[in-house]
Amino acid sequence: MLFFRSEERVSEWCTDRGVRPRPLVSVSQLWQLAAAWYSSRLEANARRPGPDEIRAIFAGIGLADPFWDPQADSFAEPA
Amino acid sequence: MDFDAQVKISVYRHFADTGEAPSTVDVAGRLGCSNAQVVDAYTRLRLQRVLLLEEDGATIRMAPPFSGVPTPHRVESAGRWYYANCPWDALGIPAALHRSAVVHSQCAQSGDRLRLEVGNTGPEPSDWLFHSLVPAARWWVDLIFT
Repeated sequence: MLFFRSEERVSEWCTDRGVRPRPLVSVSQLWQLAAAWYSSRLEANARRPGPDEIRAIFAGIGLADPFWDPQADSFAEPA
Repeated sequence: MDFDAQVKISVYRHFADTGEAPSTVDVAGRLGCSNAQVVDAYTRLRLQRVLLLEEDGATIRMAPPFSGVPTPHRVESAGRWYYANCPWDALGIPAALHRSAVVHSQCAQSGDRLRLEVGNTGPEPSDWLFHSLVPAARWWVDLIFT
């Protein structure tokens, strides 16, 4: 998981490594993920979200690609 | 609160208060228990994906969003410095602390430096991007690589 200055830098990074770019996430979306995951982390009853909750969190900020499915073991590189 | 939850909270409080991972001695001293009991709890918390441990089973590598080792993702909040495991966790630290912070990181390709102010309601506008090579279902297969 890495930060990039722009989409062009992501493309260069992936080309250098022979991998296909994955779905991109904006800083605004990343904050929503961070808040959903960690805002209660220092509380006694904190727990990790379950698979359905994770899907709902991702879908809620527009990340519905199978890449973000926590149980999508079938995710594979497109041909 | 059960014992494992007490250990978890003790670990997280130590990270929040110091910016560093606690030793088993720190946690045992805070809870008034033995080091062996803390190590046993760590093992159970690892299985619950709360902690990532070094091979010795007693040293905390990650208590997400906090990192027990230096990383390129640093967070400054209330005069204290923290290391995050990744960009997601860098934003997760101010979310967990419920405090404003400044995230310091860099572009993985160009090396350009990122300085991102994060308030209580989120980060300042930014056109930087986050990219994960590993799909969500495999994040914990090798969390350090992820």
